[in-house]
Amino acid sequence: MKILIVEDEQKTADYLRKGLTEQGCAVDLAHNGIDGQHLALQQDYDVIVLDVMLPGMDGFSVLRSLRTIKQTPVIMLTARDRIEDRVKGLHDGADDYLVKPFSFLELLARLQALTRRGRAQEPVQLRVGNLSVDLISRKAYRNNTRIDLTAKEFSLLAVLARRKGEILSKTAIAELVWDMNFDSNVNVVEVAIKRLRAKIDTAFSPKLLHTIRGMGYVLEVREDERVE
Amino acid sequence: MKHSITARLVVMFSLAALATFSLIGVVLYGVLRNELARHQQEQLHTMMQDLEYPLAHMTNAARWSRFQSRLDQMTPANGSVRFWVLSDDPQFQYGKGLAELQLPSNKADGLETIEIPQRSYPLHTITRTIPALQDRPAIRLIIAIDAEPYFHTLHTFLIALIALALTTFLLVALLGYWVARAGLRPLKRLSNEAQALHPRALSQRLNVASLPTELSDLATALNGALSRLEGAYKQLEAFNADVAHELRTPLTNLIGETQVALSRPRTAPQFEEVLQSNLEELDRLRSIINDMLFLARADQGEAATGLVDTPIRQEVSMTVDFFEFLLDEMRLTVRIVGDEHICAPIDTSLFRRAMTNLMQNAIQHSRPGAEIVITIARLVNSVSITVSNSGTPVDAVHLPRLFDRFYRVDPARNDLGPTHGHGLGLAIVKAVASMHGGQVFAQSQDGVTTIGFSVLARGARPA
Repeated sequence: MKILIVEDEQKTADYLRKGLTEQGCAVDLAHNGIDGQHLALQQDYDVIVLDVMLPGMDGFSVLRSLRTIKQTPVIMLTARDRIEDRVKGLHDGADDYLVKPFSFLELLARLQALTRRGRAQEPVQLRVGNLSVDLISRKAYRNNTRIDLTAKEFSLLAVLARRKGEILSKTAIAELVWDMNFDSNVNVVEVAIKRLRAKIDTAFSPKLLHTIRGMGYVLEVREDERVE
Repeated sequence: MKHSITARLVVMFSLAALATFSLIGVVLYGVLRNELARHQQEQLHTMMQDLEYPLAHMTNAARWSRFQSRLDQMTPANGSVRFWVLSDDPQFQYGKGLAELQLPSNKADGLETIEIPQRSYPLHTITRTIPALQDRPAIRLIIAIDAEPYFHTLHTFLIALIALALTTFLLVALLGYWVARAGLRPLKRLSNEAQALHPRALSQRLNVASLPTELSDLATALNGALSRLEGAYKQLEAFNADVAHELRTPLTNLIGETQVALSRPRTAPQFEEVLQSNLEELDRLRSIINDMLFLARADQGEAATGLVDTPIRQEVSMTVDFFEFLLDEMRLTVRIVGDEHICAPIDTSLFRRAMTNLMQNAIQHSRPGAEIVITIARLVNSVSITVSNSGTPVDAVHLPRLFDRFYRVDPARNDLGPTHGHGLGLAIVKAVASMHGGQVFAQSQDGVTTIGFSVLARGARPA
């Protein structure tokens, strides 16, 4: 995935480049609106991360001039959490926006959502190690042993399995499973994960559901686990 | 241009004086003119009566010559009174210059005012026809009085009036200035007092007692505004202190942990541990800042947009579903009371956020195994949603302040376990309510604490 980041804050730009490069993306950086506009028009990117407050030319202007020629997906970053900003951005053709301070995981999820749009239909059966999740019959198996899950537990597992190997924050899980799209300092997700883990991991090996402290949860087969 | 009250008062006083005086002057002038006219008419009548009688009884020319000399005597040297006698017989004629004055000789009987082109003032005349008697033919007697003295008097009077009016105008202006200055002195005093208000001394107030009634209302109103400002300012100060405190704890942890970590060589897992801990603190900071920004927007009167008429019970159920695992864990049950047809226009995301905070609060304060009751009710203009839980009662003094930011019933208990937020939960409920034109309410009775909010019903106007 080829990404352009237009951001004048050096630290922000650096960690975004590092993080996205490590995720396997090819990243170009621009530190002001004019360079950003130039790169955005000259090259073909899968997605552009565009800050609103930029020296030389603000993000909205870059976006407008881009939209006259190209339909590259754009995600705006703004420090001003004003409705006018959002409306202006979306009206000018932004595909999404994030308000600072945002989490890197959130940005990653949004970028993936933007580039996933219009992709091929997802499979009806998901596999993570020896765990299989049947999205049609809503049943889960570990080593062909049927695991008894409640409706919400299955939804949670499906969300994690669809994004296997992807770290999901508690907020993202709350949104995907319960449609609660805001920061709630509630430990509902922790309790739910604890229950799910008890059902899918406790009696089986290798362990699949991992906690990344401070970040969230991931469903994946880990090398060190497999060795055990 | 900035207008001065004194100047306005002076102008108004003077104009009022001028208007009054003009009215009086016009009336006086009118009365004088009428009186003078009447006086002249009476003079004419008297002279006519005096002369008519001897003329009427005159039978021959002998008496006529005596009458002529009498008329001569009565005619003043300045010609202000003149007499004419007209008849067909030239012997019985008197007076000259009738033609020069262009007086018509065939005038009808009675009073008349005659304008004469060459003269600036008219003549007042009286004419009487006396029928013939014996040898004397029929004669007509005309008496004329020059109106000049009459107009002269009027003119003098008018000049005096105008002079008086102008003098009065100036006098009233001067007096008015002085009166206005004296009258406005309490205002000056009030302004001095207001200027003396010190920005640091927030509890200072204007002295109402020494002010006249008209100004004491203003001063009371100003004092009210000062009180509200003081309240708001104190709240803001307390709020700033709270924010600083809330941010200070995670910041201290971040700085301290990082410094400790860097002060010795550490292994990668140790650094990882520090970074993870830091991330937790940072996430806490981010969450506080986001909530504060949200509250700031609500404070600025931002209303919820994109409202969709939604069955409230359905939304409430969704929030309860969200808490399913947690409720199960804590052996709590939830009962929802209320008609499922009750709808209200809401922003579902904001509504769920408020509901989540209310549920979280109720779960946090419930006895294990208790029941949480959510009641949905249609009120006159709004729909109310209340969450009741049984647990430790909340003292009445805390109830109105529960929705304040960072307000804690027990300041010492800073950490209330896993379900504890950062003290903004109910403030957000209040913000969501106000964004939907609603209110919040809290009560605690018989061990049951009920906290709720309302949203404006469809079509209702905010109060």
